[in-house]
Amino acid sequence: MLAEYVPILLFIIVGLGLGAVLIVAGFILGPRRPDEEKLSPYECGFEAFEDSRMRFDVRYYLVALLFIIFDLEIAFLFPWAIVLDEVGLFGVAAMGLFLVILLIGFLYEWKKGALEWE
Amino acid sequence: MIEQILFYVFAAVLIFAATMVITARNPVHAALFLVLAFFNSAVLWIIAGAEFLGIVLVLVYVGAVMVLFLFVVMMLDINLARLREGFVRHLYIGVPVAALIVVQMILVLGSGAVDPGALPDATLPIPDPAETGNTTVLGGVLYTVYVYPFELAAVILLVAIIASIMLTLRRREGVKHQDVAQQVRVRKEDRLRMARSFGGSGSTSTGRNDNEHPDR
Amino acid sequence: MTTDAFEIPNLTLALPEIWMLGVACLVLVVDLFSGDRDHTPAYWVAQLGLLSAALITVQAQWGLDVTTFDGNYVADAMAVVLKVTVLLLTFLAFAYSRDYLRERGMLRGEFYLLSLFSTLGMMVIISAHSLLVLYLGVELMSLSLYALVAMRRGSPAASEAAMKYFVLGALASGMLLYGMSMLYGATGSLDLAAITDVAAAESRLLLVFGLVFTVVGVAFKFGAVPFHMWVPDVYQGAPTAVTLFIATASKVAAVGLFIRLIGEGLEPLHGDWQNMVLLLAVASILIGNTVALVQTNIKRMLAYSTFNHIGFIFLGFVAGSAEGYGASMFYAVTYSFTVAAAFGVIMLLSRQGFEAENLEDFKGLNERSPLFALVMLLLMVSLTGIPGTVGFYAKWLVIRSVVDAGVMWAAVFAVIGAVVGAFYYLRVVRLCYFDQPEAEGGPQPSGSGGFRFVLAANGLSVLLLGLFPGALVAVCMAAFG
Repeated sequence: MLAEYVPILLFIIVGLGLGAVLIVAGFILGPRRPDEEKLSPYECGFEAFEDSRMRFDVRYYLVALLFIIFDLEIAFLFPWAIVLDEVGLFGVAAMGLFLVILLIGFLYEWKKGALEWE
Repeated sequence: MIEQILFYVFAAVLIFAATMVITARNPVHAALFLVLAFFNSAVLWIIAGAEFLGIVLVLVYVGAVMVLFLFVVMMLDINLARLREGFVRHLYIGVPVAALIVVQMILVLGSGAVDPGALPDATLPIPDPAETGNTTVLGGVLYTVYVYPFELAAVILLVAIIASIMLTLRRREGVKHQDVAQQVRVRKEDRLRMARSFGGSGSTSTGRNDNEHPDR
Repeated sequence: MTTDAFEIPNLTLALPEIWMLGVACLVLVVDLFSGDRDHTPAYWVAQLGLLSAALITVQAQWGLDVTTFDGNYVADAMAVVLKVTVLLLTFLAFAYSRDYLRERGMLRGEFYLLSLFSTLGMMVIISAHSLLVLYLGVELMSLSLYALVAMRRGSPAASEAAMKYFVLGALASGMLLYGMSMLYGATGSLDLAAITDVAAAESRLLLVFGLVFTVVGVAFKFGAVPFHMWVPDVYQGAPTAVTLFIATASKVAAVGLFIRLIGEGLEPLHGDWQNMVLLLAVASILIGNTVALVQTNIKRMLAYSTFNHIGFIFLGFVAGSAEGYGASMFYAVTYSFTVAAAFGVIMLLSRQGFEAENLEDFKGLNERSPLFALVMLLLMVSLTGIPGTVGFYAKWLVIRSVVDAGVMWAAVFAVIGAVVGAFYYLRVVRLCYFDQPEAEGGPQPSGSGGFRFVLAANGLSVLLLGLFPGALVAVCMAAFG
């Protein structure tokens, strides 16, 4: 079974290799003539004096959370799509109920205004 | 053979990454090590034959949950120095407790009472994955035999939606936004006022059009 | 394929859960579109839904003992008793907390929604017949409860309580899941009946390992000493309405969790878990009584005294017999209705901008409201376990089962614990009847007529159960007969 993953392994090797080659090529071939002004973060203006990290708004968190929930929902759809002809009408109804429950969640989300960014 | 080598390589990286998650000084680095840990456990699952779960682990945990973690890390604005303090301070209790548990586990497991070979041949509720493929097999039971837990999963997701919206959504005051429907519905009487001046100059001034304060 | 052997599940058996899911979704939609500031339509839909769900449970499941959904779901008499209890407790929680939450601006549709989903989770636990369903039920219940505790967003105490509850609850879920995975590894099945068969056939250390972790996980959910750290903070930090719900309904569900998973599922390992449970029981009674003595906040006092009662419930489990489980169930049911009424009185005395949280607030309650002073007297006397009250019968049944199991010293210890408990419960009675109120007169009972009516009925039911406990005892014993 692992043999099926050989193309993926090849792909990873080629991808990493190509990336490495390009970086190394740029490193070797590119001209480098640094001076003090060029190396400073800002050529004019102040040096940075604060942490560049800043607080995120809690709204990003809500968006990410809602994304996860529907991402999980999608994950359940993959096996269902594969076995659709085997599980019969019962399987279709099971997924139907699953989707209806989440649809109610979506309705709640929409009506509460969680999808609006103000 | 090659599977065993792969297993040990990925398991070693997994343990390393997991250790780094709890010891890394910077929370962002810890989160990135967690990504590495997820990737390696996904590979372990794939080696064990649970392809679908391995891919879902990458999709959901690496793709979505880690983004959430990073948001939380950024939202909290954690003071790194203070985070470090507690770790060292509690180390002198934590290490002996951990050592004690390890010794106890070794004593119990080393007594030979637990024999991994004696485990039952797992009476798998699903046919051999090698024949049909993991995803198909999973689907075959998930929507029939395990339909009750499956629907419960939907309800838990619904609760997650409700809880997250309840806890994080707040209406902001004083946010300026355009309401197109209200703009279209507006009538002349709401906005326009004829003002007559009683002074001697005789000039008539029209009311001014004030969009923001119609009743001023 | 396995689908050939698949049987269409018997949906009418699982009607209570399906009905509750429908009610919860209906409440969601009604509340979204009603626009009522007091959430009145949602309230009535929820209350009617809960009562009808109790009727449906009795109708659909009483007297049966069958499984469906391929062994994932079981309908039996025990499920009926516990589910009806949980549903009625949720009903009481909604009735008591409506005015309280409205006055504090916390009355939101989500309170009803999350409580209903939590109730659904409890019903799932009670009717679970496989490890997977048990775990999902626990998660459904707990997730909703975490959010409910955090409902008061502006309050640091509530946030802290929610955080502690969430972190420790997640740890407990992890323990439970770890234990369950060991059980699955040792037996190769998720089905509780199959696990029992394997456990009976051969003893294996891995099973005992799994058992240890599941006992720890269940004890966490109960809040039994020494896994009790979250309880006082959560009781105090959460809105009283939510505290009421956690203190009563979730305990009843935890009884279901214990009996399904450990009592019945791991019945062959009784010799292994008996002493663990005994230890939990004794530690709970000891710590609960000692610390409750010095509390001045009544919510914290009730929290610590909960340990005492959890200790008694665990003592009933010790015997591992039908009588023991019946006694524990009777104890849990009567205790939760008594405590629900006690929280009702706390909320009755609270008014806008004032929480009747300190024991001082109950001084001279008799002069302000003789009826509710009487209710409080009845509740406290019952919680103490004085003969003639329902609390006495519950304690007596539990102690009898312990004596039958041959653990005499535990029985003696429990009696001593009950006597110590009398001190802090009867202190409340003394405050209500014999102490003069504070200078400004103390808090007056507030609340609408419906609230007072339900509370008085709840108090009366505690009295009646004390006078005629036979019927409920018979029902509880029949559940395991």
